[in-house]
Amino acid sequence: MINIDIVATAIAVLTLFGIYSLMAISLNLEYGVAGVPNFGKALFVSIGAYTAGITYTRLLPLLSGFEVIHPCGPTMGGALQLRSEIMATQPVAGFINLGLTMLIAAVIAGAVGFALSYVTLRLKEEWFLALVLLVGGETVRIVVRGADDFICSHNGISSVAQPFYFLDDPRTSSLLFMLLALALALLAYLYSERLIRSPFGRMLKGLRENEDVTRGLGKGISLARAQIMLIGSAIAAVGGALFALNTGFVNTNDFVVTLTLDVWVMVVLGGIGNNRGALLGALLIALMDRFTQVGAIALNMSGSDVEFNYVRFIAFGIILIWMLRYRSAGLLPESRLTTGAHDVVRRVLEK
Amino acid sequence: MPPALLTTSLVNTIQIGSLYALMALGITLTFSVMKLPNFAHAEYVTAGAYAALIVSLSGVLNPLVIMAAAFIVGALSALISQLAVFKRLEGKEVSLYTLILSSFAVGLIIRYILFLMADYFNLFDLRIGIPLTIVFRDGSLILSNLFAWVVPTSIVLVVLLTLLLNATPLGREMRALANNVNLARVIGIPVERVKNYTWLLVGGLAGVAGALWGLQTAVHPLMGWGAIISVFAAAILGGLSSFSGTILGAYVVAFSENTVMLFLNANFGVDLAYKPAIPFIIIIAVLLIRPQGFTNLIRRAGDLQR
Repeated sequence: MINIDIVATAIAVLTLFGIYSLMAISLNLEYGVAGVPNFGKALFVSIGAYTAGITYTRLLPLLSGFEVIHPCGPTMGGALQLRSEIMATQPVAGFINLGLTMLIAAVIAGAVGFALSYVTLRLKEEWFLALVLLVGGETVRIVVRGADDFICSHNGISSVAQPFYFLDDPRTSSLLFMLLALALALLAYLYSERLIRSPFGRMLKGLRENEDVTRGLGKGISLARAQIMLIGSAIAAVGGALFALNTGFVNTNDFVVTLTLDVWVMVVLGGIGNNRGALLGALLIALMDRFTQVGAIALNMSGSDVEFNYVRFIAFGIILIWMLRYRSAGLLPESRLTTGAHDVVRRVLEK
Repeated sequence: MPPALLTTSLVNTIQIGSLYALMALGITLTFSVMKLPNFAHAEYVTAGAYAALIVSLSGVLNPLVIMAAAFIVGALSALISQLAVFKRLEGKEVSLYTLILSSFAVGLIIRYILFLMADYFNLFDLRIGIPLTIVFRDGSLILSNLFAWVVPTSIVLVVLLTLLLNATPLGREMRALANNVNLARVIGIPVERVKNYTWLLVGGLAGVAGALWGLQTAVHPLMGWGAIISVFAAAILGGLSSFSGTILGAYVVAFSENTVMLFLNANFGVDLAYKPAIPFIIIIAVLLIRPQGFTNLIRRAGDLQR
């Protein structure tokens, strides 16, 4: 048997949970609340990750007063060493860089999401938006992989260290990073809860249920759709930046359609339209990810030839179909929402 | 661009375009008859390719037998996915996105079952064992026996499919379903049976395409998935409804992936790494500029919904 370090496993699972939560909440806002089928989640997540790759190689040396070394080709080793040194010796630069990374990523992804939502206006059928987003994500991936200017084409950027890297004890630093991820996820959760309860959130639900009625009530639906794409994409990009920091490298191979599907599985499993459901889905998928990794190692060590990592995808497919067929509302179905006004009225009535 | 390169790329265009046509026709057919954009279609191709590979490894090298095996396996995997998943979802009032998602899930399951199998029996990156011979050589134009199999087979299958759709009772029923399912049911067309036959046909064509595809490249569990976007691009060029439009679209996609790409590479220095982006650009451009594809250009020729 293998020894499992329980604390390290818990930290890894919870970090992953925080990151997945950001992605799941963003998809829940877009599809669950507003009904916009974002099949391009990988695109917006990858924008965050690529931004991290670019800022860590270009912005970080500038912030800490070094010359920027071209990160690709023959100078790759030097650039990598410089990054590690800065991250180990100048924590402040690391934090500023991280903050700027998230900001830039959120702004770029938000702008892309805002712009892409207008594509729907020109499309003949609504599901074409899903196709455009899916295909757009792959196009961006191919362009980034083909060009040297972003993240060294297919080589990717390694040593994108998380900001607590300067601490000597790796466990403390990963614990702090976990807390950072969880805090951001909590922030996103609270924000989206507020958003759903606001008049804007109710309009989005109206948009999801019946577009024509919402339009008939005098709401500008294309702007609403664009706004929710902006918000969702920005959240997803922050998740993507954390994703890159967590794995430590940025490679285009991580942002294929399967990532989009993972996020969809989280939302469908947890409950479409319910933020707590999205969190539950993210937690279950994070646990399952870790479990399949451990299972794969255990199985290989016991001398079996079966590649357990493939089983993960088969299980994902089966979960997805099972949920769609038998519990299409998810484990935690969307509940009736009460607003502040509602609560006041009830209190008055009870008196 | 040197003329030798041009001829080779044109040969490739015809060869690959024929395969795209076989696959894209399946997408068009499922979308028209079943109203389902089926992303699991790629996996029927891979399943067919693996069936062909296994038959050829067992020592049978007759291409017709190999293709028949691929047809059967592809058809069965399509029928199973209909009976086990899509049919069960149809009963409920589900949104199109649920169907798209479930087709992704079906694809995921088939693909990784093939991965497991290929891993267990060590079947990665093998070629179907039909020896390559040159059947025609004239200057820079070289045609292998591959070309002699791929192109005529595709053409024959496409012609047969068109005949089936236009001249048989089953084809008429399929067209009725494409037009209006409820009306078809009312006038007594056995809707479920017609759907099952359509799935068999679609999966079988995809399987044959996989076998032919495996003749020219190595068989890998990701090969179908790698081609699916090009195939969707072809189907979208055909407006997802017209047969002749889809076939034309398949050759247009293959032409831009091969000849146009080489032209851009030779004249403007565009890196060949960007080749996979071409079908994406086609899809986005068509959806935005001309979502009906070629349908209006060749309206009467082969429209399913006439």
